Amino acid sequence: MAEHPHAAGWKQPGKYGATGSGIVLAEATIANAWNVQGNVTRPEFIARARELFGVSLPVAPNTVAMTDALSALWIGPRSWLLVAGGESPLVNFGAKRDALNAVGGALFDLSASRVAWTVSGPHVATVLAKCPLDFHVRGFAPGTCAQSLFGHVNALWVRPQEDDAFQMLVARSFACDVWYALMESGAQYGVEVTLPAPYR
Amino acid sequence: MPYQGHPGDTLASALLANGVRFVGRSFKYHRPRGIFAAGSEEPNALVQLARGARTEPNVRATTTELYDGLIAASQNRWPSLAFDVGAASGMLSRLLPAGFYYKTFMWPAMSTAWLKYERVIRAAAGMGRAPGEPDPDRYEHQYAHCDLLVVGGGAAGLAAARAAADSGLRIIVCDEGACVGGTLVGDDVSIDGLLGSEWIDATVRILSANPDVVLLPRTTAFGSYDGNMLALIERVTDHLAAPPPYVPRQRLWKVRARRVVFATGAHERGIAYQDNDLPGTMLAGAARTYVQRYAVRPGSRAVVFTNNDSAYAAALALNAAGVALAAIVDARGQGEITGTLARRARDAGLPIVAQAVICCGHGRKRVSAVDIAPIAGGGRRRVDCDLVCVSGGWNPALHLFSQARGALRYDDTLTAFVPRSPLSHVVAAGAANGRFGLAEALADGHAAGLGATGPNLSAAAPPHAEMEVGAAPLALWSVPAPRRGGKRFVDLQDDVTAEDIALAAREGYTSVEHLKRYTTLGMGPDQGKTSNMLGLALLAQAADRSIVQVGTTTFRPPYTPVTLGAFPGDERGAHVEPTRYSAMHDWHAEQGASFVNAGLWKRPYSYPRVGETPEQAANREAKNVRANVGMVDVSTLGKIELQGRDVAELLNRVYINRWDTLPVGRCRYGVMLREDGIVLDDGTTSRLDANHYLMTTTTVNAVKVMQHLERLLQVDWPELEVYIASVTEQWTAAALAGPRARQVLQAVVDIDVSNEDFPFLAFGECQVRTAQGAIPARLFRMSYSGELAYEIHVPADLGRAMWEALIAAGEDFGLMPYGTEAMSTLRIEKGHVVVGAEADGRTTADDLGMGKLVSTAKWCIGKPLMNRPALTAVDRWQLVGLTALDGAVMPRAAKIVADLDRALPNPMLGHVTSWCWSPNLESWIALALLAGGRTRHGEILWAVSPLADAKVRVRVGPPCFIDPEGERLRG
Repeated sequence: MAEHPHAAGWKQPGKYGATGSGIVLAEATIANAWNVQGNVTRPEFIARARELFGVSLPVAPNTVAMTDALSALWIGPRSWLLVAGGESPLVNFGAKRDALNAVGGALFDLSASRVAWTVSGPHVATVLAKCPLDFHVRGFAPGTCAQSLFGHVNALWVRPQEDDAFQMLVARSFACDVWYALMESGAQYGVEVTLPAPYR
Repeated sequence: MPYQGHPGDTLASALLANGVRFVGRSFKYHRPRGIFAAGSEEPNALVQLARGARTEPNVRATTTELYDGLIAASQNRWPSLAFDVGAASGMLSRLLPAGFYYKTFMWPAMSTAWLKYERVIRAAAGMGRAPGEPDPDRYEHQYAHCDLLVVGGGAAGLAAARAAADSGLRIIVCDEGACVGGTLVGDDVSIDGLLGSEWIDATVRILSANPDVVLLPRTTAFGSYDGNMLALIERVTDHLAAPPPYVPRQRLWKVRARRVVFATGAHERGIAYQDNDLPGTMLAGAARTYVQRYAVRPGSRAVVFTNNDSAYAAALALNAAGVALAAIVDARGQGEITGTLARRARDAGLPIVAQAVICCGHGRKRVSAVDIAPIAGGGRRRVDCDLVCVSGGWNPALHLFSQARGALRYDDTLTAFVPRSPLSHVVAAGAANGRFGLAEALADGHAAGLGATGPNLSAAAPPHAEMEVGAAPLALWSVPAPRRGGKRFVDLQDDVTAEDIALAAREGYTSVEHLKRYTTLGMGPDQGKTSNMLGLALLAQAADRSIVQVGTTTFRPPYTPVTLGAFPGDERGAHVEPTRYSAMHDWHAEQGASFVNAGLWKRPYSYPRVGETPEQAANREAKNVRANVGMVDVSTLGKIELQGRDVAELLNRVYINRWDTLPVGRCRYGVMLREDGIVLDDGTTSRLDANHYLMTTTTVNAVKVMQHLERLLQVDWPELEVYIASVTEQWTAAALAGPRARQVLQAVVDIDVSNEDFPFLAFGECQVRTAQGAIPARLFRMSYSGELAYEIHVPADLGRAMWEALIAAGEDFGLMPYGTEAMSTLRIEKGHVVVGAEADGRTTADDLGMGKLVSTAKWCIGKPLMNRPALTAVDRWQLVGLTALDGAVMPRAAKIVADLDRALPNPMLGHVTSWCWSPNLESWIALALLAGGRTRHGEILWAVSPLADAKVRVRVGPPCFIDPEGERLRG
């Protein structure tokens, strides 16, 4: 990726752009990310998912359920993305897939399909404003997630807590381009890239 | 010619302070022009601005903030402003009335004559020069959300923001000026006991301290769009001589506001009298602004001409600054000149001439005198002056309000269009709402701000200023010209006179929209801000209709010009679209691959060695695949996983062939049709497990096929239990192909890949040994090249490790990486069809030789319509292979004919869909669609390209040049 000045990107900690840390970026490494699909109106599906993954799939749109090991993100009326940064119930794929198939659900392994970053800092909402979502805490409540476009690229954002930090997930093949856009927009406020840490 | 100025000056105020009165020449007649206004409504003072590598035409000197080293040039004159050849058009003006180009320059009556005239007219037309260099600046886009957007930071806007600020609403206030305050800046008024400027500072301090309020100076709201989305342009560094790094030059804001207050002020208009365009003639409000805000005397001896009270404030300001007032010419009678300001002027001893008008101006490059006469007619007297301040009244600036679907009504008393009523989500306040006095503007803004907060929680009073008593204006649009042929300008920017408007009316252009296009009134960069009202009032008079009947033209964004670079923002050059990279991209780049765009992806075209062109490399690679083994990165292909009880049924319905017979651990080639029976896409689908399948699609159709399946499952067949997920990004894939592929593969995988244990079209999971340890992989035995071949899929984050392991293992077997060009050559040699070339949206499965794949045992999408007579006719164009004879080069995009010498029209028998040099056959070959092609094998025809003037003899044969029995595939 020689054409991109920031291609080494999220692997290289450092400070870029203007002085200061207007935004702070760090890779949130994904150990496993599984896509659970199924019909919420079938109680045996919800129960089976809880059994297999230790989490109650959030039913309200764009909400997040978090356990110590993983986050379950609502990404569609029949679709959830379970993301873990380390050890978690996201093991024994084949058996768990079969167990979900048996209750009319499905399981897909998408662990390598996305790159995730933690985006924080005083200017985070400004830098993310290439996306039409409202990143103010009144527009994007803690414990919620949303998908939208960052420039022209689909991205999934999660605000786990009250503070101004977001997880941002993009498809792996687009990640380099999106990273470049984050650096371009962030440079005027000062970008600090810190060491990768497990997704939380 | 260097000039001096102060920080806070605009280019216009600095020019005036340096005694420069003559700043440009008009559009059509090249008449000398001076500065007319003080804000963004300026029609005359357009300059070409240079800054380093940048040059920008048509920049208003009145809104250009001065900085040290600013370079500007006047426009529309040659060779110089003072001596301009184009001014001669003024003498021909009788031949150049409105719309002259529709009536003249038409003889001789042949189109070439007009083209010659047009070039000359074009050179004489236009203002400024477009830049010739690429735009060196960066522009940014930014979305924003707020509960209240206040457009305009003058008295009313600040009052609105202040009123709403305590309620916890998220507020954005924008103002086009460098600092907020609007016409209050420098004004000697008192608000809440504070001086105007002190009140502004105090209000700004309160707003700035509020974390929910964003103040955006130097930001123009230029358009209002659906759903209360407004577009704002923020000039971040235009005013800086040395912009800081990383900061964009301008920022385009897209603001979604729950409610909007348009506190956009009002524009003053002039009065059309003869030679009212002489330099030194300006709007009274502008003269006042130059004196009070910029401490500049625009002249030394002034005549004020008005029909309303506001001009008296200008007269008082000029007088206080030491400018001699030769006369205040008021069209109203003494009995009507009773307002507070007029009384103050009388008390100051300023000479007021009532019931009078200016009937003409005198001077050449600047005004030297005016003639004053009674409004009823009679003797003129000359008054010397070097400054004329005109006020014909004020027009609320309702461009954005109208774009937000606000309706207007004409107010006879104010002689202006005002909002008819507020809307639920937008409201106008202050002068924009027809409240021209300061006290009423403050109250109006305050009420608008409170209105946004919902039920009134606070009983806070509006800011207080002294109420001025004003008298009504007199409707006066023009004064008859004393001299026949005298010009009375209405639109200064486009040189439209009162005579032009009368002419348009006489010729039947009585609709205000026609008037605009016919005369060009209001079509310049200023969009008629100081002239539209005047023009439509004169049209009403000329056409004997009321102003209400004439109405206004549609207000179109942008409100003021926006530099083009702001619209694409960061999406320019390489970033017009996002770019997608495979996990092995860095390896390809390190090997010196030459890249090509495949949709959004970068793919290697070939891997040229030193001394090789990319084409030579591709030929070497293609030859090596069939001789030894090659490997190509196929990560870009679409991959969709399917699970559920009804997957096989879904596959049966979308593909032409059968899928309920596919066992676990096998893959199969499939073709999808559109509903009209035409081929949509092809790919392979594998059965990974009992209810778990993987479908692949072409790169270009990955998204389209996914959407197709989603739509079918959600809309057409919701009863099917099938879940799908795109896994294109999850798996990175390499295709290993060639007679030695098995040997390379066996060296790295942990399963037996002998022909018995892993036959053609098998699928299995395995581990690949890499330098980073063993990694899980999916292995498929399928072939695009026609050679013994495999596809290895690994999770995308491990792609490079897999690739390097295979490269290393392949060293002993002559493995070379190959790119898209060699891949294309190999598939043409084998006759594999490609979406876009053979499957071009017009061909059926049968055309492409796949008719036998269509299962007779079941229905599929496209089945009913694929048997329509025209789609099954015997002379349909069918897929064939062509070999070029005589060692000739296959022409590009060639057509096929039987007889070269046949007179036109020479029937086209078919066309070439794909072609290449085959290093394996050592001749040029092609795939083509040929009428009745399957019955014409062996015939010699011609492939011709009239565009390239090429004609080549070709032999027709089956669409497969290598190993037609498929022995290499199944070995």
